[in-house]
Amino acid sequence: MQVQGRKVAVVGMGGAFPDCADINVFDQKIFSGQSLIREWPKAAERDKQIRSKVSGFINDNDLGIEPIYLVDGYDWPETFVDTSGRIPDVNMATADLGCVWAMMGSLNSIEMAGWTKEETQSEKTGVVIASGGGGNVIMRNAWHAFFELGKKSRHAGSHMVDRAMSYREAANVSCLIKNRGVCESIVSACATGLGNIGYAYRLIKFGLQDRAVAGGVEGTSLETFIGFDAMQVLSKGFSPAESSRPFDTKRNGFVCSFGAGIVALEEYEMAKARGANILAVIDEYFNNSDGDGDMFYPSYGGQRRLWKGLSAEAIIKPDVVKVHGTATPVGDILELISVVDTLGESGYHISAPKSQFGHMLGAAGSVEFITALLMLKNQQVPGCINSENLNPELENFQKKEGWEGSMKPAAAYRDLIPQETISKEINQIVCLNYGFGGTNSAMAISKDN
Amino acid sequence: MERQEIIDGLIEVLRTVRTVDPAKLEHVTEETDFLTDMNTPSTELINIAAKVEQKFDVEFEDEDIDELGSKVKDIVDLILKAKARQDS
Repeated sequence: MQVQGRKVAVVGMGGAFPDCADINVFDQKIFSGQSLIREWPKAAERDKQIRSKVSGFINDNDLGIEPIYLVDGYDWPETFVDTSGRIPDVNMATADLGCVWAMMGSLNSIEMAGWTKEETQSEKTGVVIASGGGGNVIMRNAWHAFFELGKKSRHAGSHMVDRAMSYREAANVSCLIKNRGVCESIVSACATGLGNIGYAYRLIKFGLQDRAVAGGVEGTSLETFIGFDAMQVLSKGFSPAESSRPFDTKRNGFVCSFGAGIVALEEYEMAKARGANILAVIDEYFNNSDGDGDMFYPSYGGQRRLWKGLSAEAIIKPDVVKVHGTATPVGDILELISVVDTLGESGYHISAPKSQFGHMLGAAGSVEFITALLMLKNQQVPGCINSENLNPELENFQKKEGWEGSMKPAAAYRDLIPQETISKEINQIVCLNYGFGGTNSAMAISKDN
Repeated sequence: MERQEIIDGLIEVLRTVRTVDPAKLEHVTEETDFLTDMNTPSTELINIAAKVEQKFDVEFEDEDIDELGSKVKDIVDLILKAKARQDS
């Protein structure tokens, strides 16, 4: 149960962002309207094997990381080395690429938070980080050595388990920072990033922890990419920067991207007492399920109940709604209408950051949460690039019998979706993310006053 | 194959194991112990065995690995044993 009067502050952030050296470059590129999506050589070289060729990707050797290849000609590294020397080799030995980003993002978040060694290593400090887990390049070595070459199991390497297990990111971060509190992963497909931050928020709000490092990760993996490519749900036929088109009439799928977003959370009064720079205060977190038995199709009813739950014990009057907005044909407009039917037709703006960096899957919720933190800092809303034309006609789902939502087309809500960065007073932002399995998550954050 | 030749090859393998301190590879003898002298994490020993198999083009039996000691001479003996088995 919640402890009366206990609040949670966000005091640090970090991560790994496509085509960005660090979070400052990410900040600058996002608010100047740039796209982080490029043609991905690893997909392009597969030619007709893969439909979609664009991604917000991070290479093995970006961000000061050096991949070490055991055998020439193999397309997967045996291990990684941190050339900046911040992460010891013994920690790198148990990490896949996503874990390396999680460790880097955690160190950056803790540094920004200003936690002492004693605070970081306390029993009251938790680690809650996960990835979406649609695919993992680590298994490629095992597959090749065992199944193709017929080698003994040891040729898969003794680190296959720690590099591939479901909670590898949390485990690696915990072993690096040596916290003595909770170490867990919350996995909920594309809601994972926000779900981990939400769970960490509850640990602090409920008095179980005082601090937490939390977030979501999706390591670059062709295995993950081809899974979605096989489903024919990835964007196709546009230049890289124009490929992610939330709300636009020509959208035909999402851009599969990779990255990591990590934040440092702390009990508000403790953070305030030590003079921490408070990036945001978390007002509320709520999550639920559609309950309609559909693995993939978004649910208007589920999303309306999500808003209701979020508003039950908190004042929710956002200046910006950071939507999931993947650029898939059905999801965007159904989400737009669930927002409009909840908040009304004016008084806020909608931000869809996937227009600039694509869909980071397990990292989406946390990297977009960081984008929301930057909105609070900059007092700006980045534009939804490529949302050039909104449908002037009703969607098919609005014409179905039993539809209870708005009977206006998407074009009626053009004013809510800026196409370029705008400046405005932003006090509260609601972040929304959903995942396969019908899971929905929402978090409201406010500027510290 | 001479024992020193095997030790030299073994050191080459160990240089590719990131968790082994390169400074500890300067004075390796047959009596050097992977665990106590080189502080090799025990989880790395099986990786070293797999890399040695690739390097020397031999295959160890599971029983060989189960009974393997942690000194350099133990792995040199095992490589020679596996090579002899391969040649016979």
